[in-house]
Amino acid sequence: MNERRVVITAASAITPIGHTREAITHSLTRGISGVKPLRDDGLLTRHIHSQVFGTVDYPLEFDFKRSNRKTMGPVSYYACQTAREALARSGLSEEFITSGRLGVAFGSTHGSPTEQRNIYKTFFAENLAGLREIGAVNYLKSMVHTTAVNITKMFGITGRVISSSTACTTSSQSIGFGYETIRFGRQDAMLCGGADEYDTTTVAVFDNLLACSTDFNETPQHTPRPFDTRRDGLVVGEGAGALVLEEYQHAKKRNAPILGEIIGFACNNNGGDLILPNKDGITQTIRLALDDARITPQQVDFVSAHATATKMGDVIEAQAMGEVYGRAPRVCGLKSYMGHTMGSCGAIETILTLYMMQAGFIAPTRNLEEIDPRCAMVRHTVELKEAPLGIAAVQNFAFGGVNTVLLIKKFDSP
Amino acid sequence: MTRDAIETALRTIFLERFEIEEVALDDDLRDKHEFDSIDAIELLREIEILLGRELTRPEKKAAMDIRTLGHIIDYVNDLAASGGGPPEKTPKKSAGGP
Repeated sequence: MNERRVVITAASAITPIGHTREAITHSLTRGISGVKPLRDDGLLTRHIHSQVFGTVDYPLEFDFKRSNRKTMGPVSYYACQTAREALARSGLSEEFITSGRLGVAFGSTHGSPTEQRNIYKTFFAENLAGLREIGAVNYLKSMVHTTAVNITKMFGITGRVISSSTACTTSSQSIGFGYETIRFGRQDAMLCGGADEYDTTTVAVFDNLLACSTDFNETPQHTPRPFDTRRDGLVVGEGAGALVLEEYQHAKKRNAPILGEIIGFACNNNGGDLILPNKDGITQTIRLALDDARITPQQVDFVSAHATATKMGDVIEAQAMGEVYGRAPRVCGLKSYMGHTMGSCGAIETILTLYMMQAGFIAPTRNLEEIDPRCAMVRHTVELKEAPLGIAAVQNFAFGGVNTVLLIKKFDSP
Repeated sequence: MTRDAIETALRTIFLERFEIEEVALDDDLRDKHEFDSIDAIELLREIEILLGRELTRPEKKAAMDIRTLGHIIDYVNDLAASGGGPPEKTPKKSAGGP
């Protein structure tokens, strides 16, 4: 099959450490954390031990028409805003966007939990008094693929729709599957990403599994602490990331700005336990991605590790990286700045990696004060480095044993 | 309920619920105001509240081809004139989607 090159021609992210590229870069280079006290939701917050959250607490101005707003929960506001900005930055014409040659790969962990709560409040109310108030709009706001189809509606996109919902690998799959869709000629461009809104349900679940950080409730900026001896679990966060992927010749012909090239992707499953991290599974994913890109481990300059700061997850990931890469590439756990933005983390971490690639620096892992000896077999980034970044790997792993690795190359014209 | 009162009530619903301010009686609501099938379902619920009773399935189906405010006024006027029966005992089973 004829394989085509796939480049990234635009990106936008809403993250706990900023919205614009300038704000995000500022946070990464100054070591600013986006982790804040967990907001009260009037339901679960006071029962949760972990009182920290990767928070989007700056004002965002949304300017959506009623015909769009009516089917959008908070998660779709994030998704559509980043999609709108990415499409605008790409310079793609409206004619192309609506031509059927552009598809959408976008997802979230489980749609809009805010809207789902509204629905269930009605279902569990006495006498089902409000049942008839629940209609199509509520479902369209809450459903798992709500982000993807609200994007198609807002921009009149008629190409294929992929809406993965695999927790922490949701948006890395979006990018990976979007990449393959273009690579193998099914679409000429794909709008890819993921989003997740503020939600205490996810915090409560991880809290019950003893996987959430609880030791730093009074000093939220000191957690999460990937690979650090004092790490005590993950911090849930919110956000969104959108990227425009485009077939290289198509982008070149229209003189599009090119942020980077996707040269490889792999996704596999551990084939067993749905929760425990699995070194063999992760190692295999990394190797599959390297094979896909036809590069050697020594060619990778930087790894954006999944690095949730759980006790065992970081150890297993470090062991897997150590086995494949040794101490060659620099490693950073970007979640140390903003927590685990769940379904959006793959897209956000890819975008942050692109920003670093373009600016020529590598951010250190925040809160990494004392490297856990069990995680010491890789080259951790402990201080800001000015360094050319040619090829980067973005690793993400999810509940259910799903693993993904994306390989991104700094764009240089052939 | 007079025809004028129905029109006033519907215009209020269009403004408050659908943010549609200026609507002529013969405007095609879909073409001119992006009023789609989802809005139509919402409007039927508003009409039920306005009339103080639940609409029957045949009554709802009769609304499916309506395209203008003028026709909606006719529709509500006919329903009001036919007199509202008591609310259905069993609400339509719907979890908010297909």
